[in-house]
Amino acid sequence: MLKPEINELLTRVGPGTPMSELFRQYWIPALLAEELPENDCAPVRVKLLSERLIAFRDSEGRYGIMDEFCAHRGASLWFGRNEESGLRCPYHGWKYDVTGQCIDVPSEPENSTFCANVKLTAYPLVKVGDVLWTHMGDPTKRPPLPEYEFIQVPAEQTYTSKRWQESNWLQALEGGIDSSHVSFLHSGALNTDPLFKGAKGNEYNLNDLKPFFEVTENDGGLLIGARRSADNGNYYWRITPWVMPSFTMVPPRGDHPMHGHFWVPIDDYNCWVFTFDYHPIRALTAAERQAMKDGYGVHSENIPGTYRPVRNKDNDYLMDRAAQRRGETFSGVQGIAIQDASLQESMGPIVDRSKERLVPTDGGIIKARQKLRKAVLALRDEGVTPPGVDTAHHRVRSASVVLAQEESFIEACRDTVMAVPGVAQSTV
Amino acid sequence: MYMRPVLLNSCAMAATAEEARYRINAPIVASKAVRVVALDAGAAPIVQRVAKHPWTSARFYICAPVARTDGAGSAIDVDLATIDGSATRLSDELIDVDATVMVATGNAGATPASAIGMACTLRGIMTAGLILGTGHEADAAAAALRPYARVLLISKDEHDVFDVLTALRA
Repeated sequence: MLKPEINELLTRVGPGTPMSELFRQYWIPALLAEELPENDCAPVRVKLLSERLIAFRDSEGRYGIMDEFCAHRGASLWFGRNEESGLRCPYHGWKYDVTGQCIDVPSEPENSTFCANVKLTAYPLVKVGDVLWTHMGDPTKRPPLPEYEFIQVPAEQTYTSKRWQESNWLQALEGGIDSSHVSFLHSGALNTDPLFKGAKGNEYNLNDLKPFFEVTENDGGLLIGARRSADNGNYYWRITPWVMPSFTMVPPRGDHPMHGHFWVPIDDYNCWVFTFDYHPIRALTAAERQAMKDGYGVHSENIPGTYRPVRNKDNDYLMDRAAQRRGETFSGVQGIAIQDASLQESMGPIVDRSKERLVPTDGGIIKARQKLRKAVLALRDEGVTPPGVDTAHHRVRSASVVLAQEESFIEACRDTVMAVPGVAQSTV
Repeated sequence: MYMRPVLLNSCAMAATAEEARYRINAPIVASKAVRVVALDAGAAPIVQRVAKHPWTSARFYICAPVARTDGAGSAIDVDLATIDGSATRLSDELIDVDATVMVATGNAGATPASAIGMACTLRGIMTAGLILGTGHEADAAAAALRPYARVLLISKDEHDVFDVLTALRA
């Protein structure tokens, strides 16, 4: 349960809100690199933190993201011509470079300096891995670029997709740190999904529907351990890291690639879910990459040419009651990502957390909300840099392990949750 | 036969802020009862501070460092003191309880932790453990709680006790 004012504090992301200010301390995913595939390609409209922006890649390959609307009459620059190192509004020809600086106003005299005083709000846009990242905060406090492992490994070892989720970012994030729903909602996929099946850990998952949890603070966020019974009296642990504000990883299964998400607010009622898979020490196989593109694992099958899932709220997520009865899916919705999205969207755009009935096993969610609240208030009231800005906090990964009963996952897995280049993940 | 929904409220598109107005607005029932037990001397003042807040159903206790045992050495009960100092026993305080939250700062509470955890398990009571510390001070308490506590929260922040109880509507 959260008081309504705390729910508002954590969920509202429009300009000037405390949570918006928190997100503006970080580099956040803005687009996939595939959305701006070549120099002078078509510009892309994108909304982040309730700001409408236009992203483009100029003739020299420089990326930019800025106010979507021309300073002159407010026309959308999506209609613009991206050519000769700038984006030109087709209405009256005003032209902007990737910094938002106006560089040409054709109606002005040849030697006019008018355009020097016209600049759109703009943010840096930088490609790291398959993702274009932006920092929407104070340029004087711009942190180093992100160092998450999924964007550090060679290109052949990683794949990222994205999808639109029609809910507030926080209820999407909370799904990412709630390990107890896996044994129910996703149970149908563990033995059939090409990116999950075959792992010994799946048996432990399906045989023990009442996991125990341990939650501990970690640099940048939390580690959430879910413990189930394994063989010979041992415990099977699945360890989920959360790095503030919105990076989570799913514990791995067998030698399948590892995966996770970045949950990015579009506005109060929508978010982008950037979903990645990578393997720390080997290239993804063609079959794995194709499965990800087809929406298996934690990815989604999207409507071609869009980042909207095929299964969405307009078609009741293509609910299949027959598959539900046959046990192929637990909820009747196909695909891990949309199983999550369908339920999180059904809660409403911003769920009323004052009406929840939490139980102790929601400890990870309770602690994450507390950390977010404290970070938002410390930033607002004292200017304290929040956890997760320091790139050292990014070098974390999920793990799954079998431990003796008396072992603490925190002690036993101190090294295994560190992302070390060239070192394989710990997985069962 | 699958019937296509024709009304907004009969399909997933009803997940809008406007439709949320039509959700039943019945009052949320508080937890039936929550017991909060300080397992050691370090946890006692923390629990005493939290107890000063207004709670719906939570009761707060400080437990004795050793459990009562039977002839074979098995724990059969735990002596508790309420915040105002009255003596009571665990077995009398676990009637009609939803959840028990144990708070530890060190290893002194390992024995009663095990006894309380076992008593709760036998009664079907959800058990949570809050280990407050920065290092290995409470490893034994954590190990004792691990088999019983459905959730263990290991933290440096004593405010976690308050936040967990608030979230549980205690």
